[in-house]
Amino acid sequence: MTATYDTSRAGASARAEPLTHPGWGVRLLGWICVLFGLVIAIGGVWLIALGGSWYYGLAGLGLIGTGILLNHGRMAALWLYLVVWIGTLVWAWWEVGADWWAQVPRMVAPTVILVLLLLCIPNIRRVVRRPAY
Amino acid sequence: MTYIHSRSLSVLALTAALAAPLAPALAQDTAPAPDAATGNDEGAPPEAQDATPAEPAPEAPTATDEDAPAASGDDSAPSTEADSVPPADGDSASPTEEDSAAPAEEAPTPADDSATPAEEGAAAAEESVAPTEDATTAPTDEGAATAEEQTAAPADDSAAPEAAEAPGNEAAPYAAVTPADVGSDWPFWGGDEAAQRYSPLDQITPENVAGLERAWVYHTGDLPSGAAEGKYSPENTPLKVGDDLLMCTAMNILVSVDARTGEENWRYDPEVPAEAIPYGATCRGVSVWTDPAKAEGDACRTRVIEGTIDARLIAVDAATGEPCAEFGEAGNVDLWEGIGDKVPGWYAVTAPPAIVRGVVITGAQVKDGQAEDAPSGVIRGYDARSGALVWAWDLAAPDEMRNGPPEGETYTRGTPNMWTTATGDEELGMVYLPLGNSSVDYWGSNRSEVENDYATSLVALDATTGEERWKFQTVRHDVWDYDLGSQASLLDYQGQKAILLASKQGDVYILNRETGEPLTPVGEVTDLPESPVEPDYVADSQPVSEWFDIRKPDLTEKDMWGFTPIDQLWCRIRFRQARYDGYLTPPGEDWYIQYPGYNGGNDWGSVAIDPERNLMIMNYNDVPNFNRLVPRETADAEGWKPINETGNGGGAGAEGAGDPQAGAPYAIQVNAGWQSELTGMPCTRPPYGGITAVDLETGEQVWDTPIGTARRNGPFGIPSMLPVKIGTPNNGGSVVTKGGLIFIGAATDNLFRAIDLKTGETLWSDVLDQGGQANPITYEVDGEQYVVIGPGGHHFMHTPVGDALVAYKLPSGS
Repeated sequence: MTATYDTSRAGASARAEPLTHPGWGVRLLGWICVLFGLVIAIGGVWLIALGGSWYYGLAGLGLIGTGILLNHGRMAALWLYLVVWIGTLVWAWWEVGADWWAQVPRMVAPTVILVLLLLCIPNIRRVVRRPAY
Repeated sequence: MTYIHSRSLSVLALTAALAAPLAPALAQDTAPAPDAATGNDEGAPPEAQDATPAEPAPEAPTATDEDAPAASGDDSAPSTEADSVPPADGDSASPTEEDSAAPAEEAPTPADDSATPAEEGAAAAEESVAPTEDATTAPTDEGAATAEEQTAAPADDSAAPEAAEAPGNEAAPYAAVTPADVGSDWPFWGGDEAAQRYSPLDQITPENVAGLERAWVYHTGDLPSGAAEGKYSPENTPLKVGDDLLMCTAMNILVSVDARTGEENWRYDPEVPAEAIPYGATCRGVSVWTDPAKAEGDACRTRVIEGTIDARLIAVDAATGEPCAEFGEAGNVDLWEGIGDKVPGWYAVTAPPAIVRGVVITGAQVKDGQAEDAPSGVIRGYDARSGALVWAWDLAAPDEMRNGPPEGETYTRGTPNMWTTATGDEELGMVYLPLGNSSVDYWGSNRSEVENDYATSLVALDATTGEERWKFQTVRHDVWDYDLGSQASLLDYQGQKAILLASKQGDVYILNRETGEPLTPVGEVTDLPESPVEPDYVADSQPVSEWFDIRKPDLTEKDMWGFTPIDQLWCRIRFRQARYDGYLTPPGEDWYIQYPGYNGGNDWGSVAIDPERNLMIMNYNDVPNFNRLVPRETADAEGWKPINETGNGGGAGAEGAGDPQAGAPYAIQVNAGWQSELTGMPCTRPPYGGITAVDLETGEQVWDTPIGTARRNGPFGIPSMLPVKIGTPNNGGSVVTKGGLIFIGAATDNLFRAIDLKTGETLWSDVLDQGGQANPITYEVDGEQYVVIGPGGHHFMHTPVGDALVAYKLPSGS
C-alpha cells in the first residue's frame, strides 16, 4: 500500500494508482490557504467593522473553505476557488479598472494561488473517496 | 491508513512552486518598498542670484549707506565676535577692507587653516580658513559686540558704502561688471537671475539626444564617514561661470572644476564639523558676485559666496579659492551672531544666498519641531564686499532689529524661517523670500499674531534696506508643515513683471512682483475639517489657486496599496482607523492622514519655465503623511527632547518622526510617505511622483506623467530591474532647453533622463551610481553643449550617497 503521486504528467497521473488522501503538496497548499484565509477573514471582519470593504471578509472565508476542501482532496476546492477568483477579478476591476499598479495587490497573489491549484488537479483526481472499511 | 510516499523530486518541485509564488506574499514584510518615503522637505533650493546688475541700482548701496553702517557693523561683528568679543569693538565692526584685513590676521584661527587643502595660493592665507570654531563658537550675545560696534562702527561703515560708491560715480555702486548670461554659462543656482532654469542652448535636441554620452566624471571626495554616516543629502548644483564650475559639497567644501575637462582647479575646505549637520548635510549651491570696483586680476574680484551648515557666510576668490580677507573675518561671517546660544545643527544654511545690488541675503534652516523657543527666522543682508551687516529683517520686530538686536538680546525667537532659496531682482532692487513655518509646525495656539501673519508666505523686501514691500500667504495658520520650499521664478506675465510660486500643496500662483497682487485667480476653500485639539486656531478658510494646482482627489480606501491582499488589507484598516476628512485635515492625538504630505507638491527643486514656448515644467510628489500628536507625557517617556537639551544626535530619521515640539502641549510623530508598519511599503498606490507641463497662458496641463521607474524597487529589497514607470518620490528640479528637452534626475530610480518637452516622453536616460536628488545644469564650452548633474543621493530617500559630478555631451563631431 504504497501510494505515490506524480504531478509532472497529468495524463499519466490520471491513470495512476488511486489515493485515499491528497499528496503533501496539495495539503501544504491547503494549509496555506487556510492560514491566509484566516488572516484575511479576521482582518476582513475588522475592516467591515470599521465600515470598509466586505471583499476581504468574504474572500477570506472562501480561501479557508478552499483550503479545507484541498486537505480532503476534494475537487470542489477548485470550483470554490474559481468563484473566489472570479469574484476578486470583478471586484478589482470595479475598484480600480485598468490601473495596473493598483491591480498588483488585488490580483497577483490570488492568481498565483489559482495556478498552484490548477497544478494540484492531477493529484486530486487520483484521490478516491472510499467508504470506511 | 495510507502512506504517501512521495518522490522527492516531485515534492521538491511542488514545494518550490508553492514557495515561489507565495514568497512574495509572505515576504511582504520585508519587501522593500519603493522608496516611498521621501522625506525631506527641507532641502532648500536656492537660487543664486548674483549681483549681476544689469541695471545699476542706484539706491542700493547708497541707500544703505546710512543704515548700512550701523548694520554692517553688527553683523560683520558677529564673525569677529569671537575675537572682538573681548570688546574690541572697533575692529570687528569695521568692514572696511583694510580693517577686515586686520581682523583676518588676528582671526587666523590657527590650525584649521592648514587644513585647507587649498592649493598653493591658499597657502598664504592665514586667512583662509576661517576660524571655524571661533567664529562659530561665539554665540549669542552678539548683542554685546554689536552694540559696541554700532557705536564704534559708524566710522567703519562708511567704509562699506564708500566702497560701494567708489566703483564709479555711476549711480550704482555695486553694479555688476559683466553680467553672465545663462546659456554659455549657468551663473545662478536657478540658471538666470529669474530662476527659470531655462537655457537658450539648442545643440542637444529630441532628435540627437539618444547619442548623449558621458564627457567626464569628477569626484569631490566628500563622502560621509563617522558621525556623518547616514546623514548626507548633498543636493549640490554647480554654477558655471567662465571656464569654471563653482560648487559646494555636502560639508561645504568649495570647489572649482574645469567645465570642459572636469579637472579640479582649486578647493577650499571650511572644515565644517560633523556635529553641525542638521537634518542632512546639504549645500544646494553657491552664488557669485563680481566687485565692480576691482580690476581684472585683482584678488577676489569675482568671489564665490556660500552659506554653511555651521552657519557661516564664506567668500573666496573664484579664481584661486583663497578666502577674501576683506570679507568679514578672513572670509567668514558668523551667522550665529544675534541668534542665541549656539547649538550645532539647529541653525544651518543649506541654500545659496541671493545677491542683489551687492547685498548678500540669506535665511537659514532652523531644524523643525524642536521647540517653540528656537533660533529666529531672521533674514539678513550683508555687504558682498566687506561682509558687514547691511540690514536684518526680523518679522516680529523689523524696525527694532534692522541693525541687529540690542545688546544682550537676540532676534525674535521661533519665528518662521526661510530654509530655501530666495530670488533676487536687480531691476527692482527686491528679494523674494519663500518663508516656512514657525519652528513648531503642528501646534499653532502659542504662535504670535505676527508669526501667523507671515508664516508660509512669500515676502518681498527691498533688497538694499530690508524693508518689507509686500507679502502673500499661501496657508493660514499652518499646522501641516507646508513650508514654502520652492524658489519663486520671475517672469513676464500678461505684460507685467510677475513672479511664479509653487507650493507644497501643489498650488501655483502668479503675482505681480512689484505689488504682490495675484495675477491668476485665487480662490478660497471653506467648510474645512475641524481640529480636535485646537478648534479655535485652525483657519475657517484657506487660499487655493484657481489657475493651476496638482492636487489629486482626496484619498479613499481604494487607494490603499501593498504587494498582496494582506498588506493592502492592513493599510485599509489603518485608513479606516485614521482620522481623515480630506485636504487640510488638522492634527490630533489619533493617527490622522495629511494629504498631500510635507514633501509636496513642489519642493526645493522648484519649477522650470520655458519663456519661449510659454510652459511651466513642474515635478511633484504625490504622497500622504500619517501623523499624530503625541501628548507631552508620552513624548517625555519616549525621551523626545529638543536638540538644545540632547545635542545634535539625530538626523537620519524622517523629519517630524518623534519631534518634541518643546513648549507645545504635544510632540509630533510623522510617518512620512505613510509606509506600512508591516512591510515598510507605501500604503497608497503609485504613482508617488510625476512631472507635468502647464501652459502659462491658460493654466491647463499639456501633459502629466509619472516620473521614476520601478527598477530599484522590488520584494526583499531586491531591485526588480523593471524598466516600468511607476512614479517614485522625487526631489530636485529640472532644466528646460531651447532644444526642446527637459533634463531631470530627482526620482529614486537613480536615472538621469531627457524628456521631450512636447510630449513628456523620456527619450534618453543614463543610470547613475547614486541618487540624482539635485538640480542639473547645462552650459556650453568651445561650442559644445554640456549637461551636468551631481548625483549625491539622499539619506532619507534611500538612494546611494555619492560625491560625483557627471557631465554629458554629444560625441564630438556629431
